[in-house]
Amino acid sequence: MLETRSISRRFGRTLALDRVDFQARPGEIHALIGENGAGKSTLVSIIAGRLAADSGQVLLDGAALRAGVSAAALRRARIAAVYQSPMLFERMTWEENLALGGFGAGASPRELDAVAARARQIAAASGFDLPPPRALVADCSVAERVRLEIVRALSFEPRVLILDEPTSLLAPAELKIFLDALGRLRAAGRIVVLVTHKLAEALAVADRITVMRRGRVVATMPAADTGEAELARLMIGALPGAPARPPRDPDPAAAPALALAGVTLVREGRRVLDEISLTVRPGEIVGLAGVDGNGQAELVEAIAGAVKLDSGGIAPAPGGASVAVIPQHRDRDGLVLEMTLWENLLLAAPLRARLAPRGFIASRAARRFCAGLLDRFAIRAAAGSACAAGALSGGNRQRLGVARALAGAPRVIVAHDICRGLDLGAAAQVRRGLAEFAAAGGAVLLISTDLDELLECCGRLLVIVRGRVREAPAADRDPERLGLLMAGAAA
Amino acid sequence: MSRRLAAALRPAAAIGCALAAMAIALALLGASPLAVAADLADGAFGNWIAFTDTLARATPLVFCGLAVAVAFHGALWNIGADGQLVVGALAAGALGPALAGAPHTLAIVAIIGAGGLAGALWGGLAGWLRARRNVNEVISTIMLNFIAAQLLSWAVHGPLMEPSGAFPASRKIAAAARLHLYFAPTRLNLAMLFAVALAAVCELGLFRTVPGFELRALGRNRRASAFFGLPIARLTVGAMALSGALAGCGGAVQISAITHRLYETISPGWGYEAIAVALVARLSPLGVVPAALLFGALDNGSQAMQRADGVPAQLVYVVQALVIIVMLAFDAAAGGGWRELLEGGAPDRPDATAETCDA
Amino acid sequence: MLEAFAASTIAMATPLLLAALGELIVERAGVINIGIEGAMLAGAFAGVAVAHATGATLAGVAAAIGGGVAINAIFAFVAVNLAVNQVVAGTAIDLLAAGVTGMLYQRIYGATGRAFTVAPMRPIALGPLARLPLIGRALFDQSALVYLAFALVPAIAWTIGRSRFGLSLRAAGERPEAADALGLGVYRLRWIALLASGALSGLGGAYLTLAYADTFVEGISAGRGYVALAVVIVGRWNAWGVAAASLMFGAAIALQFVLQAAATAIPYQLFLALPYLLTVAVLALMGGQADAPSALGEPYIRA
Repeated sequence: MLETRSISRRFGRTLALDRVDFQARPGEIHALIGENGAGKSTLVSIIAGRLAADSGQVLLDGAALRAGVSAAALRRARIAAVYQSPMLFERMTWEENLALGGFGAGASPRELDAVAARARQIAAASGFDLPPPRALVADCSVAERVRLEIVRALSFEPRVLILDEPTSLLAPAELKIFLDALGRLRAAGRIVVLVTHKLAEALAVADRITVMRRGRVVATMPAADTGEAELARLMIGALPGAPARPPRDPDPAAAPALALAGVTLVREGRRVLDEISLTVRPGEIVGLAGVDGNGQAELVEAIAGAVKLDSGGIAPAPGGASVAVIPQHRDRDGLVLEMTLWENLLLAAPLRARLAPRGFIASRAARRFCAGLLDRFAIRAAAGSACAAGALSGGNRQRLGVARALAGAPRVIVAHDICRGLDLGAAAQVRRGLAEFAAAGGAVLLISTDLDELLECCGRLLVIVRGRVREAPAADRDPERLGLLMAGAAA
Repeated sequence: MSRRLAAALRPAAAIGCALAAMAIALALLGASPLAVAADLADGAFGNWIAFTDTLARATPLVFCGLAVAVAFHGALWNIGADGQLVVGALAAGALGPALAGAPHTLAIVAIIGAGGLAGALWGGLAGWLRARRNVNEVISTIMLNFIAAQLLSWAVHGPLMEPSGAFPASRKIAAAARLHLYFAPTRLNLAMLFAVALAAVCELGLFRTVPGFELRALGRNRRASAFFGLPIARLTVGAMALSGALAGCGGAVQISAITHRLYETISPGWGYEAIAVALVARLSPLGVVPAALLFGALDNGSQAMQRADGVPAQLVYVVQALVIIVMLAFDAAAGGGWRELLEGGAPDRPDATAETCDA
Repeated sequence: MLEAFAASTIAMATPLLLAALGELIVERAGVINIGIEGAMLAGAFAGVAVAHATGATLAGVAAAIGGGVAINAIFAFVAVNLAVNQVVAGTAIDLLAAGVTGMLYQRIYGATGRAFTVAPMRPIALGPLARLPLIGRALFDQSALVYLAFALVPAIAWTIGRSRFGLSLRAAGERPEAADALGLGVYRLRWIALLASGALSGLGGAYLTLAYADTFVEGISAGRGYVALAVVIVGRWNAWGVAAASLMFGAAIALQFVLQAAATAIPYQLFLALPYLLTVAVLALMGGQADAPSALGEPYIRA
């Protein structure tokens, strides 16, 4: 049995885990659910020894485990984990990646062949295929990567297998194969801990479910004894804010506010953006659905003007003030964490023009302007506008990004995954901001992997698969049909 | 204790640690640390001449320290302030003799301008290589240091050699191009004031203008800067050229105020020492001035120390190195500050304890 | 003359190759070590000082290794454990080595730098091979350090490309957080790489003082460590490429002796600047760091 006793862990001023007791039994799939930021990932990182707890213990079959990873310690403890973002080495072959796992092999051709043979056995037992010999991970699809990670984790012959939201990257069709494979692992007597925020998935596959909220375990119960409504209530604690207003139909005669024609981008010989043409008219929110890694990030970079296109055109020309972009990775691409909040506003060209006339920064005006935005968008910052962006919580950082985009008074907003990592209340607030912007005549391109979000917020829906974009027919406006399109099925 | 105060005290603590380590090393070498320190202080501040000499020695360090600070703000690791200073001095030394008869003010502007321009070209070349050819500026600036040294050697042995041909040095620059020594026999001159003014200009430029802001944003998060369409190539070339110009001015000022002619050994490694200066100043241009004074005093005092105690003057290199290392270590231990410059953004932690950016 | 050129090409390439192979290992583990110049200098001084004191060349070589390892251990602690900026820390290490070797040199051999020499490492002629025309002297009549340097090329190529250790090393240089999640121990790997590199840089320094100059002068490494950094880039982070690039730079340095003897009209400073000019030119022409390890130069902090 896997057990944690009174685990606590603090990050800065946030108590991420508060005396967490958790138990998972052999031969069960145990789902760990909770909203983003509830502490799930922190807990499994501590169980896997990747993170040290401030206090408390992890026990496997009654024996305490020591934090801190060495290959030997991992193998002794027989705990393996598949993390949220794939932990693969892009520029190595998949065999080399696996050799670094429990196969204990070097990288000579002979050893790699042996690794491949054993890996194919493990994969076959779980019911899936592996890439062709010596393929680079960089060339593997997202689904292939998730499989590689699982095979690598299984190569440790673990007693405990931890899966930290691996399914967020999978298309629905892939998901089924994956969930079947989990069933087989349970049958082999393993302890499987599945971290997820998708209730349906947890209910479908798990034997027992533990719900976390704000760093605490709020309930553990058999999956058979509960339902989505109860789980949602346990997860959220309180009802979320009012839903975003439904989108209005835009004026079909209006000239597009954003138009892409034949946009193509080639990276390392692959067409990551392949002849993309789309338009967004004033007053409409167009949704772009797709499994992560199908060109969305590059599309946003192209619209922002951060990359040079190989062919095609974007109107208005990238880099202008009329299009505001909210990138997917707000910390990596959207903010300068070491700079103050008001300085982060200056990153946006229209605000720079307003707050730094003739090239000199009017810092007092900028602070005042920033303080106004903080107020208007309910961004909580301890030290006000002079506080460093890095000192904000994730939700507040996201709201800052949205506030900055709106404050520049653009005609178009391109928003990529802006609700990932937000709790439901914060997400509703962010969506409401976009809806109001569209209602006032703004054009929005909302890119997301979350179909529910797109169906709720958007008018027209587009689907992106391997760098190609096409319109989802109105008849396909349900998650299942969209899922098939996202997986690459013909329309 | 407030975080800001702790950050402000770190440089002092770093220097304290480095000096303590040195004291131990000196004791092991058989010298009395206290006596050495006394001689060092006496050499740096013991009398009016010593004190003004310290000021004169600190002047090129201010110029180079500003050069390093400006470039580092953009995460451009300019290790080439030394070469940039040398080509600045070279341009000044080449132009200086030709300025005979020119009005004093014009001659001064011309000679310092020439130095700044040469330095800007030298630094800008490294910037251009980085921006357009993706050549690591660390390596290119180091290589350009060596090339500048050979260029200088060639100049003073060849075309610029003084007429008698007896010494590897250039002719003296015209009297009009010399910064006056108002307090002869001391070497006190206007250059230090000029350097302080430049520090103030750099401070304003970095923290109050759009290009300065863009450079700081680029240094702290290159990807976000690309996303928001900041002119990365232009900032890179511009910052490196400005950095080079500052160091180049330093070289020209040294010729104009102190040496009045070129020598092969015009720089004792100021460009490298400037890294320590800039770090102790926590990359603040205004902070560079006191930091440079400190290192200038160390340099000046070490000569007296060498005479009195027989401790080799190379000791100052060791002190510089230790100050840099201790300074880095302190910042790392404090978990923030400008370390993130290289990382391009801290990892997404629920509550990163980032402090306001004072570096 | 061609024979002499070939021989001095090999001689000039050897210290570069030793240092660059060390830097290659370090960079594949994700660390950029500007302090390599300091490690060479420390090795050069320690080697000659011990050889001079004991009269035993082998003791000198061992001391050179020790000197390089000691310098890199300081760098490893600061750059790996404290996760500070590697470029700035490396520069400090260079200053430190310059200061310490300069001080000790003056302390031991007097402020005037009284010249002292050691018995040079003897070339070892490999029988009839050494009598081959043109290349015989260059390739088969050299000191043991030369043979060692070139023998290390395939050994390091195999280690990085094929062995379990090399695979782990590359993992640490590509994505340290993932390597740590697999329990590979990024700090340990980077320490090993830096210590090995210290030994190789020390040997490179030893070559300068014990096999080439037979004495020490302040700053004898003369930027060779920095050129070695360029050699790794030009060699595309690959041991065979590094060997080829070392020979190219070695030839550029050797060229100065040939040209100096031939054409007196050209200022000798141009020849002295040639390796540095070549470095800038080659990097500018090749451009790019596309083949560099993904995590090169990024401090890694374990969660």
